[in-house]
Amino acid sequence: MKKLCTCFLLVSALVFSTILSGCSNSNAKIDGKTVVELVQYKPEAVAVFEQLAEKFNATHDDIYLKVDSPNDAMTILKTMFIREDYPDIIGIGGDINYSYFIDSNILADVSDYPGLQKIKPAYVDILEGLEFVPTEGTFGVPFVANAAGVLYNRQLFQENGWEIPTTWDEFMGLCDEIQKTGILPFYFGFKDTWTCLAPWNALAVDLAPADVCQQVNRGETTFSKEYRETAEKMLQLLQYGEEGPFAYGYNDACTAFANGQSAMYTIGSYAVPQIKSVNPDMDIDSFVMPGSSSPEGNTLNSGVDLQFCVTQACTNKEAAYKVLDFLLEHDSVQMYLDDQNAVPCVNETFELAPMLDGMKPYIEEGKMSDYQDHYYPSEMAVDAQIQTFLLNQDVDAFLSKFDTDWARYNRDIIAMVHEYQAKHGNQ
Amino acid sequence: MKEKINERVNWPVTILLIVGLITVAFPLYMTIVIAFKQPSEMTNSISGILSLPKSWSLANFAEAMRVTDFWHSLGNSIWITLVTVGISIALHSMIGYTIGRSKARSKFYSFAYLYIVSGMFVPFAILMMPLVKQTAQLGIANWVGVILCYVVFYMPMNVLLYSGYLTNIPMALEEAACVDGASSWMTFWKIIFPNMKPMHATVAVLTALGTWNDVMTPLVIMSGSGSTTLPLAQMTFQTQFGTNYNLAFASYLLALLPILVFYLICQKQILNGVVNGAVK
Amino acid sequence: MKGTKLDSKQKTYLLITIPILALFFCFNTLPLIKGVIYSFTNFRGYGDYSWVGLRNYIDLFQDGRVGRSYWFTFKLAFVTTIVVNVISLILALGLNSKIKFKSALRGMYFIPNILGALVVGYIFNYFFTYILPAVIQMVGGQGNSILASTKWAWFAIMIVCAWQSIAMNTIIYISGLQTVPQDVYEAGSIDGATGWAQFKHLTFPLIIPFFSINMVLCMKNFLMVFDQIMALTKGGPAQSTESISFLIYNNGMSGGQFGFQSANAVVFFIMIVVISVAQMRFTGKKEEQL
Repeated sequence: MKKLCTCFLLVSALVFSTILSGCSNSNAKIDGKTVVELVQYKPEAVAVFEQLAEKFNATHDDIYLKVDSPNDAMTILKTMFIREDYPDIIGIGGDINYSYFIDSNILADVSDYPGLQKIKPAYVDILEGLEFVPTEGTFGVPFVANAAGVLYNRQLFQENGWEIPTTWDEFMGLCDEIQKTGILPFYFGFKDTWTCLAPWNALAVDLAPADVCQQVNRGETTFSKEYRETAEKMLQLLQYGEEGPFAYGYNDACTAFANGQSAMYTIGSYAVPQIKSVNPDMDIDSFVMPGSSSPEGNTLNSGVDLQFCVTQACTNKEAAYKVLDFLLEHDSVQMYLDDQNAVPCVNETFELAPMLDGMKPYIEEGKMSDYQDHYYPSEMAVDAQIQTFLLNQDVDAFLSKFDTDWARYNRDIIAMVHEYQAKHGNQ
Repeated sequence: MKEKINERVNWPVTILLIVGLITVAFPLYMTIVIAFKQPSEMTNSISGILSLPKSWSLANFAEAMRVTDFWHSLGNSIWITLVTVGISIALHSMIGYTIGRSKARSKFYSFAYLYIVSGMFVPFAILMMPLVKQTAQLGIANWVGVILCYVVFYMPMNVLLYSGYLTNIPMALEEAACVDGASSWMTFWKIIFPNMKPMHATVAVLTALGTWNDVMTPLVIMSGSGSTTLPLAQMTFQTQFGTNYNLAFASYLLALLPILVFYLICQKQILNGVVNGAVK
Repeated sequence: MKGTKLDSKQKTYLLITIPILALFFCFNTLPLIKGVIYSFTNFRGYGDYSWVGLRNYIDLFQDGRVGRSYWFTFKLAFVTTIVVNVISLILALGLNSKIKFKSALRGMYFIPNILGALVVGYIFNYFFTYILPAVIQMVGGQGNSILASTKWAWFAIMIVCAWQSIAMNTIIYISGLQTVPQDVYEAGSIDGATGWAQFKHLTFPLIIPFFSINMVLCMKNFLMVFDQIMALTKGGPAQSTESISFLIYNNGMSGGQFGFQSANAVVFFIMIVVISVAQMRFTGKKEEQL
């Protein structure tokens, strides 16, 4: 019996001591400095953020910037929210998670932040469009964007005298020409379903209205109508890819493109580091997906890749704004661009990475629309649906399923939109 | 005709087992080769991937160790694994014993048995959010919380194992001790616990294995605490748009060694701990 | 005297059992209850939510994707359980017999269980995408990756699941075989029981408890299969390999469907408990008979 008691004492002591030793959460101040905690979701940018934080802390003696770049940051951010342990600033992408965070009242209104004036209006509008229902205020400061279209092997193009296409017909002509030389026009890697979304998005921004998802939510149109051309052109692209594209993944496609097995790859600029890891000397450039039949009809597919949002729990908004001021400085942005080959959202002239040459006119002009998939709820698995469609090649079945699934997975959002409409009248 | 069964080496079986080893050796060979290669040596051709690396440099291993803060994360992983295994063996063998011995006669214990074992089938995903909140509220959003979660997660499997093993330990053993006047508490520790040695080793291996490679539990529970485990640190190799397989493979090979050693040690215990003499 | 002894024994048993049950309750049942509560909401896992009554459950029974995932998961679990148990029992008998290099062999056969999911995923992807088709083409067949086939991708997942978990089940069988006293064999061999007869009449009945443990553990591992699917197909091609856990995790945790997937988890849980209680009753009766 005695031993039993000691055992219980031990166990309870263990539990107790751990409770005591457990949470010693850092408070808002270290050495009299205000601490601003920034959690950003791109682990690949950890090095440049460390440099930026170091630079910031060296130049500011009243604020201490603490940057965290965790792996699987979205899961970690969500667990932080569950613990009600909110960082001051979060760096996330402009995707549906951002919409959810606004809807959950986690993000603060930053429309009083003067630095917003420096941002290209196109990107502020993109963020605006991500709100489920028009919400008073601005909730994110766009920092950098990425761009998707078609990456191409510049060396191969120059050797063969191939021209950059500006219309769909030219594009198809080019693919035929490339195929004749025995080189694959594309290597898709559709085994990883998310890669199906890259050409889909790039085509859809050319061929469907930018706010098609909101239009559908308002009941003004259907996807069957708006996405038909996109779907048909996806099928056309498919015949220029490798045989059995559903057997090969993103990694295979990057390797194949890097080794010159294919001339082009329909993916975003974010794939360049992976490609270059296989072939460091490769000369990659990109062009805007020419989905339309006229050059003017094409738009660059570009979305907010990283934006900074201040949380509602942030106690010292002024300090947070000072951090944002620093991050939006010309040098800071350039430092990030050099490291990550990104597209700046700040309306100043920057030196861009060479693989963005072909997209430069669009970037400078601000002629761009957001990735369509930023509006798709992830649980609807549009990427998997596109893969299914490319396997079955049945346009009608795909589009009608898209419409019914959309209504099912967005039920709460559609109800919210209708409620908003009823209150505010149709715009 | 088979009287020498214990002494003779069974060569046919040995050879069959060695041939069957190809299913393990081939993937292991690929892992090792890739761990030594550079990213630029990766290709999509079979001969390319199976070929030996250009140089057998340990650079990948050194870099992998640097990136994952190897010794530190290894220490955390070992600590969490060992404490989990220790607590599991002590608590689970106790409850496995009380339940295993009583479940045939008592409704309460047979209910407790079903209750615990059915806990095995609760998907972790549904427990995750509430557990995150609960551990944070208790102030154990750190390695302690992770260990407590593991002790509970592996309880169903281990109770199953212990109470199953118990059916092969004759009641006569305890009854003899009982007659000698030992309390049931003493009986357990003096007689039953040592006799369950092979099962302790099995439980240790299985529990250690589960905790060693687990990512999700430490990810969601420890993420705020600033410390990291080896699998957590290994996530660095995989970002959304790129994976450095060469570094990752080097790192996984390094992570494989400690648990393999642990297994070999336990394996000896499984063999040596045969319910000996006493059974007969 | 006997009476008081029993009482104190009962008391000790209860003193051991109840605190451990309480711990189990706190970290398993309590969160589960919260999950059940969330299954009646449109909770995303964080932030605000509202009650939706039984809507999630009604949706669940109308959702074709969920239905397919149940069919896929049960098919996979059933086949894999059989394959794994047969192979690991044979392997355990082999590794337990008088062989050379015993430790080395046991160590090697254990390795599949420790390799991380990333490694396993990469290697088997490579195997199924490049090596296997080439081998098939060499013997004159049609060489396509089975991972790209909606009909056969589950088979690839089955192979990898089996490959990884055979090690674990083998360990359990080996420790079971240790409980078979040598004199049973000796007595048996005098009666002329060798080979299959010896296994069927002597060895197997004695390790039946371990057989049922392995059945339950296999059920658990394969009905809740997740890692191997993430590593190999991520639910593809054409959503043909989405398991129940895959949906619960991907759509519930990473997506915004936490409430709905909680309902899915609750239904799944009840279903398995019913099955395993039935199974345990069945094998329990068998054990008693022997």
